[in-house]
Amino acid sequence: MSLAERRVEREPTAIDRIPAPVWALAAILLTMPAYANDFILFQVMGWTFILGTIALSLMFLAGYGGMVSLIQMTVAGLAGYMVALFGNSGIESLSLFLPWYVYIPLAIVIAAIFGTIVGALAVRTEGIYTIMITLAIASAFFYFSRQNYSIFNGYTGFNLVIPPDLFGVDWRQPVAFYYLSGGVALLAYLAVVYVSRSPFGLALQGVRDNPRRMAALGFNVTAHRIAAYTFAAVIAAFGGILLVWQNSQISPGTSGIPAVIDILVIAVVGGIGRPIGPFIGALIYVLLRTFSPDVLTALDLSGERFKTVIGLGFLIIVFWSPDGVLGLWDKWRAARDKAEDPLRRRAK
Amino acid sequence: MSFAEPIGQVGSGAALELTNVSKLFGALAAISDVSLSVRPGERRAVLGSNGAGKTTLFNCVTGDFLPTTGTIRLFGEDVTAFPAYERIRRGLRRTYQISLLFGGLTVSDNVYLACRGVSRGRFSLLRPRKGDALAAQTEELIDAVRLTPVRDTKVAELSYGQQRQLEIALALAGAPRFILFDEPAAGLSPTERGELVKILTGLPDHIGFIIIEHDMDVALRVAESVTMMHNGRVFKEGKPEEIEEDPEVQELYLGGGHE
Amino acid sequence: MQGFAARHPFWALVIIVVAAALIWLVFAPWPDALEDLIGRKKVFLNAVIGGITLGALYFLVAAGFTLIFGLMRNVNLAHGSLYLVGGYLGFEVAEATGLWLLAFPVVFVIVGAFGLLLQNQVFRRMEGEELRQTMVTIGISVVMADLMLWIWGAQSYTLITPEWIAGPATLPIISAVKSNGELVYLKFPAVRVAIFFAALVIGVAMWLVLNRTRLGMLVRAGVDDRDMLQASGVRIQYVFLAVFAFGAGLAGMGGIVGGTFQSLTPGEDTRYLLASLVVVIVGGMGSIPGAAIGALIIGLSEQIGVVYAPTYSVVFTFLIMAVVLAFRPQGLLGARL
Repeated sequence: MSLAERRVEREPTAIDRIPAPVWALAAILLTMPAYANDFILFQVMGWTFILGTIALSLMFLAGYGGMVSLIQMTVAGLAGYMVALFGNSGIESLSLFLPWYVYIPLAIVIAAIFGTIVGALAVRTEGIYTIMITLAIASAFFYFSRQNYSIFNGYTGFNLVIPPDLFGVDWRQPVAFYYLSGGVALLAYLAVVYVSRSPFGLALQGVRDNPRRMAALGFNVTAHRIAAYTFAAVIAAFGGILLVWQNSQISPGTSGIPAVIDILVIAVVGGIGRPIGPFIGALIYVLLRTFSPDVLTALDLSGERFKTVIGLGFLIIVFWSPDGVLGLWDKWRAARDKAEDPLRRRAK
Repeated sequence: MSFAEPIGQVGSGAALELTNVSKLFGALAAISDVSLSVRPGERRAVLGSNGAGKTTLFNCVTGDFLPTTGTIRLFGEDVTAFPAYERIRRGLRRTYQISLLFGGLTVSDNVYLACRGVSRGRFSLLRPRKGDALAAQTEELIDAVRLTPVRDTKVAELSYGQQRQLEIALALAGAPRFILFDEPAAGLSPTERGELVKILTGLPDHIGFIIIEHDMDVALRVAESVTMMHNGRVFKEGKPEEIEEDPEVQELYLGGGHE
Repeated sequence: MQGFAARHPFWALVIIVVAAALIWLVFAPWPDALEDLIGRKKVFLNAVIGGITLGALYFLVAAGFTLIFGLMRNVNLAHGSLYLVGGYLGFEVAEATGLWLLAFPVVFVIVGAFGLLLQNQVFRRMEGEELRQTMVTIGISVVMADLMLWIWGAQSYTLITPEWIAGPATLPIISAVKSNGELVYLKFPAVRVAIFFAALVIGVAMWLVLNRTRLGMLVRAGVDDRDMLQASGVRIQYVFLAVFAFGAGLAGMGGIVGGTFQSLTPGEDTRYLLASLVVVIVGGMGSIPGAAIGALIIGLSEQIGVVYAPTYSVVFTFLIMAVVLAFRPQGLLGARL
């Protein structure tokens, strides 16, 4: 107890450094269940946290490692499948009904192994090839899960996959699920921020900027890239487990090609430069998906065309700002700073 | 990793030994049949006009690419087929002629990475703590190359001379036993060259190095022996004064200007 | 070819043995023991020939993709959408005029023109920015997929095969020997045979154009060294436009072919995009012969897989890709990365 107090005394700056908007955001998120309805909590915020977490794993690979991997949704889907397979589902002939403290770690480990194997293949090539190879593997997984009945139960997949009844709480209740998914998303976010400044994270950024030099400093560049896939797979796996609980079912379409592309869209629209980007992207995506049918219908257009809206929005963002919404925000701030202080040199 | 051969106790006792090393790019031989032996602690200058194959030689030694033929032994151990990082972990270091630094990271991050590259915990997910041994080593190195005032500056914002100094700091990280300097003085002012000579001559005695340098003054002040290369081959070897006075060398290199 | 045999005697031998075994399996009557082991020869032959024709279709679609990538380093992930839109348009043309053959030139021109637009308005603006191109073409394919779903709905369309190639064709391949010693020859849908020969003609024609004409020389020079071509004063943008339009038009015609012997539904666009990706990853980026070999391998493995191990046919495709990546990351006939 005294130890903890002393630490707070020694490093008061760490808390001081957190800017006011972050406090405000934290306060809003914490108190949201008090004034938001169940639909907002469960459908909007729950989805934002889940898709944001999966997109965060892509951001980690793309932003820090320079590798745009389209396998993240598949890793998440695999983790979801494993939860249904080892845990509980409505398919009693397949599910093993193991206790939660077995099946959750098991699902994460299997997803991490899968992510690592894909990474080991993908790092043999670079740039655009990485995208193509991960996309091809993702689709192979989709078709395989659709054809295989002994593990993935084919077309139908698994239904009635519900979270364990821990601490007497029904975690699929909107408020409980809001805090659960929000908590996992926050932990994933903090883990990425923390690791980005760890030896591994620094080395990964070194590999991104200058692989040849990293090798000349004694780093095994390939191993670092593969390890990045493993780390990202663990984050994606957490997202996938939440995803299957949110839906209470999982089927091949969960990690089909459109879903894979959605994760890329979310990460890019939000911005792959910083860990907060994917969550911004996820919020925008979920809001568009949830409300654009209404808006479109109000404008006398078919409400089913929200994909076109999202696609066009994505196109505009990519054309205008390769760094996503965060990039737009940075540009706006730079422009404002310049306007305020004409003597200042142009920000680089 | 092979521990079967105790490092430095096998072979001729040379720190670096090249036997008949050639490197072909298609039909073009960048270096051909180069044999070279450098004692531990020896300081060697490699001279030669542009295109003589000096940087290719370095790239073969560090493992940036594999030689077409020939063997490379480092402290007695055959490292010809080793990846670059394994050679670095055996005490080999190099600097680059073109700046190959991490522009987006700070000076201390750059040096920290270099220290981390040759120590354990490269994959650690835990952030270093303040009193970390590597952090202390990092500070020491930054101080040794006189970059302490800019330690938290992003490398892209450093001056050219400071970037060259940082290059040297990266090569000194860990426990180097043999260093390859690729034109460290290129583009430096006379004062900065003086600093560089001080850093190089001030290196601990057990650290040997090869220096590629166009500035004869710098090269001959820090080196105790000289290898002349011409058209990808070793052309002459000897003491600096012998080389300086050799008529053939003078005709080829010194007399005819640098190109 | 001789160079390959000299450099890799072992692999040359393996290739020869595999090819000889395949030829024997196809042409020789099977002994009973073999039929007991893996089933009737007719089934196998149908799988092989089905695989070859599927490979021909994959080649039609992937050839444009690989040519565009090889020459311009343009990554067009909307290639599958060009395939599908070509198929739908071909259906409309054939339906309206009743002329199946007419659909080909019409679709080639329309989809080719759309390709011109893409190259001129999208790719030229972001030359060299592979990642942005990828993103933009993904965006385009998302929008196109949704618009096509809007126009043509979710039902499946099949182009009706014209009568003159509707029936079965008898191939000079023995499928079985009757008990009375009479030879039974293999019958196979004529339209598929026609597709195979069409792909063959197009492939050979592309090869001839690339290797025997001035335009082909320019394109090949561009694949090898773009900067040089640019510096030599050739109006490289025109070459780029022509190649892009041709590749797009080919994908569109592929849509008609696919719509004739399979069907057109939403989702086929990604399927053919992925097939193209796998084909060029296996065959090697930017290589036309590579695309042909890759398409053949993938088509065969898919069809043989579907017949003999239905659950795992996708896994075969994937395994082939993984093996190629592990041992030859640049693809079978690709230049070194």
